[in-house]
Amino acid sequence: MHHVVLERWSRGASVLHTLDARAKLASLLIFLVAVSTTAPASQAAFAAYALLLAAALFASRLPVAGILGRAALVLPFSATFALITWWSGDPMRALSLAEKSFLSGLAVLITMATTPLVQLMGALDSARVPRPLLLVIQFLYRYLFVISEQAQHMRLAARCRQGAGSHGKARFHAAAGAVGVLFARSWERADGIYRAMLARGFTGRFPELLPARFRWRDAVFLCACTTALLAVRLGLAEFHR
Amino acid sequence: MHIPDGFLSPAVWATLDFAAVGSVAVAARRAQRELESPDDRRIPLLGVMGAFVFAAQMINFPVGMGTSGHLVGGALLAMTLGPWSASIVMTAILILQAFVFQDGGIVVLGANICNMALAGVLAGYLPYRMWGRGRHRSAAIFLSASASVTVSACLALAELQISGVPMPRHLLWISLGLFVAGGLIEGAVTVTAVHAIERLNPLWVRQPALPGPRVMAVAAIAAAVVVIVGVGIASSLPDALQNLLPGRRTAIAEWSWLHKASAGLAMMLLIYATCAIVGRTVSGRKLARQRSA
Repeated sequence: MHHVVLERWSRGASVLHTLDARAKLASLLIFLVAVSTTAPASQAAFAAYALLLAAALFASRLPVAGILGRAALVLPFSATFALITWWSGDPMRALSLAEKSFLSGLAVLITMATTPLVQLMGALDSARVPRPLLLVIQFLYRYLFVISEQAQHMRLAARCRQGAGSHGKARFHAAAGAVGVLFARSWERADGIYRAMLARGFTGRFPELLPARFRWRDAVFLCACTTALLAVRLGLAEFHR
Repeated sequence: MHIPDGFLSPAVWATLDFAAVGSVAVAARRAQRELESPDDRRIPLLGVMGAFVFAAQMINFPVGMGTSGHLVGGALLAMTLGPWSASIVMTAILILQAFVFQDGGIVVLGANICNMALAGVLAGYLPYRMWGRGRHRSAAIFLSASASVTVSACLALAELQISGVPMPRHLLWISLGLFVAGGLIEGAVTVTAVHAIERLNPLWVRQPALPGPRVMAVAAIAAAVVVIVGVGIASSLPDALQNLLPGRRTAIAEWSWLHKASAGLAMMLLIYATCAIVGRTVSGRKLARQRSA
């Protein structure tokens, strides 16, 4: 499963890894807004954004090929729309569509590959995202692998039981039965989790092992990113209406 | 259909981000009330059911011609957990997909939340809430699930078009056809899945109570929004109007947007009045027959 790779990447020890998650998240948002509001014709600005990301990638000491390959996952989708735009007679816009989606995806990926999910959740918590929503996200992420593995076992078992001869309608109903059983097991597991949590004295939030601190270097990083992005955005680019 | 970053224009994503932030805050508060107890009793349930939706998408349903579809799950969650909780679970899934799976953008997260976690869940719950009792239960479940997927996809397409991503007309028709096909698959999958779940434990699927005035009001507003958006789409496709009303086309195309919308609403009221009158007469006759028997 490919998100395990992201988990491994986020445990690194580079400069970017040690920065506070809030500083990284704020810089990411400024970057995404800057890219999104750049007009399609400002190709120099896109080159500058790419340079900034290259610098971040270098500083993070992440495997370059792996990161670029994963960021390219968005390209099939945007290439389809870019081709349609090209045929409609707007090649500049088509190019910018692909560039914007790739650069944005790459920026998100670099941020997430240097920030463990727990830290990101802490940053969202200090941004006043509703606490129940954050708890749901964390439970979802924790049990994603457990339930997915169960689904894979069930799929394998179903393939073993049914021969090549079984027809479509029976297989359709078998799949529905599998969804039903998976639903039942998930529901019962949730009940068990809740009882176990009560037994251990859950207080409504997950404890943080290393409480986040916003230090001087985080402020410097945020200021540097903001200045660079503002310079590119206002100096090199037209506004996209 | 998750919209990536860079596709929507700033005006569109900023509006939808604001709408999503407000609605999700309300939904989080209502979800806690919906889950009976005030504390975090069922927070683990919501998280694990989100993981269930992820995992259930691995189970393939053969849909003929060698292809297979899978559950999308918004309507199924709304029918089992209730609409507010389902919105929260879908929002959590979308946030996780955007940050961890590179599926969907961050600044356009509000747009994706509005399409799938809010409008999709609402469309996947209203028909079930209205007609989910008694004889037409399966049909209501089918309609809910189909509407959920089709509405989300159409909204995403509309947002792309408003943002100025060009879309040739025949391609628009092809994608609308695909959305409807996807909706039908989701409908069939959800109906069989709900029946399977009910066989295991009938309490897991919520039985809708008789719709009260508030549900009716929400349904009426939703219907009005569908009509207004539909009229907007229809007026951007003058060919269809021309086929329907040859010779009248120029007159209708020159109407203002407000005129078109009010004409659509008037049409809807007319249809509603007809249905109401027919329903009254039929049920009146049935009552009379019961009394005479």
